Amino acid sequence: MSKSIHENSCEEHVYSALFKKHSKNLHDFLYYKFGAKLNPKDKVQDAFIKLWDNCKKVPPEKAKSFLYTTANNLMLNAVVHQKVVLKHQNKPQRHSTNESPEFILEEKQYSDKLQKALDNLTEAQRIAFLMNRAEGKRFKEIAELLDISVKAVEKRIYGALKKLREDIDEL
Amino acid sequence: MDRETLIKKWLDHNLTPEEQKAFEGLEDYKDLLKISESVKGFKSPNFDSEVEYAKVKSLLKPKSNKNWMRPLMRIAAVLVIGFSLVYYNSTLDTEIETTIAQETTISLPDASTVALNAQSTLTYNKKTWSNKREVNLEGEAYFKVSKGSKFDVLTSDGKVSVLGTQFNVIQHKSYFEVTCYEGMVAVTHNGNSIKLKPGHRFALIDGMIKNETENEEKPSWLANESTFKSRPLRYILDELQRQYNVALDTGNTNLNQLFTGSFTHNDLDLALQSITIPLGITYTKSDAVIVLKSE
Repeated sequence: MSKSIHENSCEEHVYSALFKKHSKNLHDFLYYKFGAKLNPKDKVQDAFIKLWDNCKKVPPEKAKSFLYTTANNLMLNAVVHQKVVLKHQNKPQRHSTNESPEFILEEKQYSDKLQKALDNLTEAQRIAFLMNRAEGKRFKEIAELLDISVKAVEKRIYGALKKLREDIDEL
Repeated sequence: MDRETLIKKWLDHNLTPEEQKAFEGLEDYKDLLKISESVKGFKSPNFDSEVEYAKVKSLLKPKSNKNWMRPLMRIAAVLVIGFSLVYYNSTLDTEIETTIAQETTISLPDASTVALNAQSTLTYNKKTWSNKREVNLEGEAYFKVSKGSKFDVLTSDGKVSVLGTQFNVIQHKSYFEVTCYEGMVAVTHNGNSIKLKPGHRFALIDGMIKNETENEEKPSWLANESTFKSRPLRYILDELQRQYNVALDTGNTNLNQLFTGSFTHNDLDLALQSITIPLGITYTKSDAVIVLKSE
């Protein structure tokens, strides 16, 4: 009994450990789900502030689902039919001379196609696929983050890959 | 191994070296790799949890999980201090002290009463009173003890034990006197116990024991008069100074001569005359000092 009273999220060391454990994944989750426009960093911040305000009611083991639900709701309140926009993070490179203008153009076109194709994925597919490919996470880690089975993760990611290829070929 | 399984294992970063070779042999290996590589460009913006934590922390309302306890702790501390003070006080002896020319009457916890003459001190303990009726006395006091268990008066010259009675005790310097007015009083002095019946007095003056009788029903000092029967003048003058705040210069007066009589507590001149005239002494008042002179 006394342990659960003391081990609540109001303890600063507990709270800060929760932040280190969940903030980045939560941020990535929000980013891949809703895109860059709605400022996932702010939502992560707000969700953690809400966790602090409710720290007495939320034991650390429930903190993750509290944070994801809260942040997701904050996002949904802000979304109102905004289109997902993922920004290509690659900075414009100083291209070496051996790359022809045609090649650069092709690359640009490919990137645009890919972005459109990513937008066309379902939310669930996009989150799982980008966590896997962009963040380099394994199926098991993603399954834990999303609270789903490894099989489901595998299905989403493989499905996403298949759909991307079809879309890119079509476009 | 079929194509789909191979791709899935690749996606899960879980290919063995042989499988890796087989995967690279797939016809669309290049397409897959290109998608994978390009998608990396859509990686989420850098998120530094240290920096973000510092930002969040500055926005948090300060609080501690102990803050619900703090006011409670304060109240508890006040209560503890309060109770211990009350307890401490209740275990302390109660002390009643009279100064020169002051008399007072005290009711003890069992309805016994004590009249305390001038410049006397009486102490007793309320807490242990129900177990042990015991008072300490310095000076003079008249006791009316209600019936009950043994009642002890402790003085530096001896102990007076009674059951329920009225008696007077005097203890000043080398003077000790107990007079029984009602009931029975036991006086213990130097290990010897003497029983006093009503109308009897035990006196110890400079180590000399005197057994006397007393006809009055209560001590005269209760009526604001000090009465003496063959007492050294020294003692009478001490009593005078307890009743009146005066300085005495006894000069060549013989302080050991005996005095029988009384003086009032209300009139200094009358009191002085009561003492000096029978002994053939004159007195003069100069400033605050009274000078005695034998004829």
